[in-house]
Amino acid sequence: MSSLALKSLLRSSGTASSIVAIALLVAILSSAQSITNYINFQAEMLGKLVYVGGPYLILSGNATSIADSRVDAGLASKLAGLSCVRWAVPQRIFEAELETSSGRRAIDVRCLEDARGFLERIGAYINGTTPGSWFEAGVGEVLARAYDVNLGDKLELVIGGKHVKLKIVGIFRSQTESDAELLALMETAHMLTGENGTVSIIEISLQPGVNSQEALSQIAQLLPENVRLVQTQQLKEFMQQMNAQTLAFLNLWSIAVYAVVAAASYIISTRLLAESSYELSMLRALGAEKRLILTLILTYTLTVSFIGSALGVALGTAGSQTFATMLRWFLPSVDLAPFIELWQVLQTIGLTVASSVLGCLYPALRFIHVGFMEKPL
Amino acid sequence: MRLLGFRYLRRQRVAALVMIVAFSSMLFSITAFSLLGFYRGFSAYLGEGEGIIVIYDRNSRTPFTGLVPIYLAERIRAISGVRTMSPEAMAPCILKGESVFLRGIVPEDFSKLSQLTVMEGGMIGLEDLNFMVAGRNVAERLGLNLDDKVLVSGILTGRCLDLRVKGVFVSHTPMDDEILAPIYVGQWLRGADYAHATLIRVKIGIEVEGKTVSRSDVSRVVAEEASRQPSPHGEEAGLEPSQGLIMPRMAIGFRAEDIGIEEASSFMRGYLERYGVTRESLLTLSIAVFFFSSFSIALGYKVIIAQHRGELDVLRSLGASRRLLKADLLAKLLPWSIMASFIGTAAGLATLNMIQEWGYLRVLSHTVPIRADPLVIALNFSFAILLSAITILKSEVG
Repeated sequence: MSSLALKSLLRSSGTASSIVAIALLVAILSSAQSITNYINFQAEMLGKLVYVGGPYLILSGNATSIADSRVDAGLASKLAGLSCVRWAVPQRIFEAELETSSGRRAIDVRCLEDARGFLERIGAYINGTTPGSWFEAGVGEVLARAYDVNLGDKLELVIGGKHVKLKIVGIFRSQTESDAELLALMETAHMLTGENGTVSIIEISLQPGVNSQEALSQIAQLLPENVRLVQTQQLKEFMQQMNAQTLAFLNLWSIAVYAVVAAASYIISTRLLAESSYELSMLRALGAEKRLILTLILTYTLTVSFIGSALGVALGTAGSQTFATMLRWFLPSVDLAPFIELWQVLQTIGLTVASSVLGCLYPALRFIHVGFMEKPL
Repeated sequence: MRLLGFRYLRRQRVAALVMIVAFSSMLFSITAFSLLGFYRGFSAYLGEGEGIIVIYDRNSRTPFTGLVPIYLAERIRAISGVRTMSPEAMAPCILKGESVFLRGIVPEDFSKLSQLTVMEGGMIGLEDLNFMVAGRNVAERLGLNLDDKVLVSGILTGRCLDLRVKGVFVSHTPMDDEILAPIYVGQWLRGADYAHATLIRVKIGIEVEGKTVSRSDVSRVVAEEASRQPSPHGEEAGLEPSQGLIMPRMAIGFRAEDIGIEEASSFMRGYLERYGVTRESLLTLSIAVFFFSSFSIALGYKVIIAQHRGELDVLRSLGASRRLLKADLLAKLLPWSIMASFIGTAAGLATLNMIQEWGYLRVLSHTVPIRADPLVIALNFSFAILLSAITILKSEVG
């Protein structure tokens, strides 16, 4: 009896228009999804055009800046011993005050074991030479210009009340952040800070051609818990965040679409109950239980919303692809090829069906709680 | 026969109609306000004021990644009547694990073109080697406080450095989602040399001795410089030392056809149009959303009529004509539709503002500005009225 009753409900005149109403709403959603998919795909592709081969940094786990970071200096030699590591350079970076004619200015000092090797790696040009003892330093060109530092000058640095004079033996240009730094040997750092055995960062580079995933897991095994490994060039994370921003808005916007779907479902079920009131009341009069009537209404809504959402996904995707093709006729420079993924299709259908069921519940429950004798025949 | 005084429509049934019209209007408002907000924000990204032109790299696929010779700025500055210009180096970065755009600027030049109000701390100078100022939105989002030292990593090159927060500014533009640092910081993080910037903004239109500097004057200078081919790539070109500029200055050769010169808003719109995004296309998309949901509204009207079939049949048998019944339904339901449309628009705006407050209304790490566009509101009301009228007049009554 229930299948016959469902058939009679589905054959009612309003079913087709109900399916179309749901389909059009879902089409809005799937067309937006398919266009966003393409834009995000393009963003990822654009990201792949950039070579990501920057070095990795080892920092202390809780540090938000390089200056705050403290890492065991001995770790560098352990890392350098790995076959996958090309080089591992421990660096001590700290802030010091530079005595100038106009007062004290805060500057960054970078201290290394091998200043020459560091400058060669970053492709720096140097006027003069690299520091060879603890009282010598090199200065970046931007810093030199900003504070009028010249080759051969003796600079007075102050850190924690300790004064040290350093002789400038070279001015270099690297077109990196080091151009605004003072470059000295690790001994200088020990003299100035009094700290031994710790560095701010260890910069590492992998051997060319090694599998980076395997190499990183090898490195990670050597790292203590309180340090972290970060890639300096986080292009993938950046692109993921860009895409996530679009998707976050799309997800919130889709809630509005599902709200309209729920409202449409409310209207659809109200119409069904208004138009099929005679049949449903007759069923009740013939002994059908309330549960059967509720099941019939829910099954009808499920069927309508399922067909409507499947149709809507197809309509939306095909519609956006047609729109993209037409756009290319008028604007040949526009390259748009919307697409939708299977999981998105399933998610859309699932959420549409759920919203529809939610929308039809109130009219359905209200209908079954009214006695059949009160219903107009 | 007059029916206006005869209240045969049940309020509970009308409520369903109000709900569907309100939800559809809300959907239209959210779509239209957000899309147009994105378009407006992006167009005004480099300045809305008249007379700001941008010198940019024609070959770049995005407005953030091009490179133009920075020494052009000094050549253009020499044109009589050009008073303000700002070379800028944009660098997409990661800061505290979040994507953010850093704009390298020459602070003195930049502040003449963009009005910034420093809320806390102070503005950076070119000699502030390791300092930055953060826009209000980015400072709030990332919890940046004055004097904080943070690690900034460039994503186009393997560089990272510590920058200290010198101030927090507000500009009431998309710039509030950016951080500003001296231009050389932008160049390091962008992976550019000291000879290049992402773009140069120039304020023209200032009258000097009865003559106004125009875009063509700037184009002429750029063409002259391109034909001059000053020196081999990267070589110092004997530029006179200028006051305050602390980074090395280089002149390099370039091709005139690689350099674009456009008004700031046209420049940004040009990038959007490359991807088929125009104000008209966005509005059309929003209207399509409304029309797709309009089928549900039409269904709502049909349901109201179906639910009142008994009452309408009685009125017909009492002598009311179909036309009279339709006119009466229209008169009774139209105010409800208008009210629902108003509720939907207001709810749409409120929802968008809420989404914006939560930080979910961002595109390319810039907050989308939301403004109640009168055109969108007018379209919303017009469509609601039109749809109500068409549905009722075409329906079978009695």
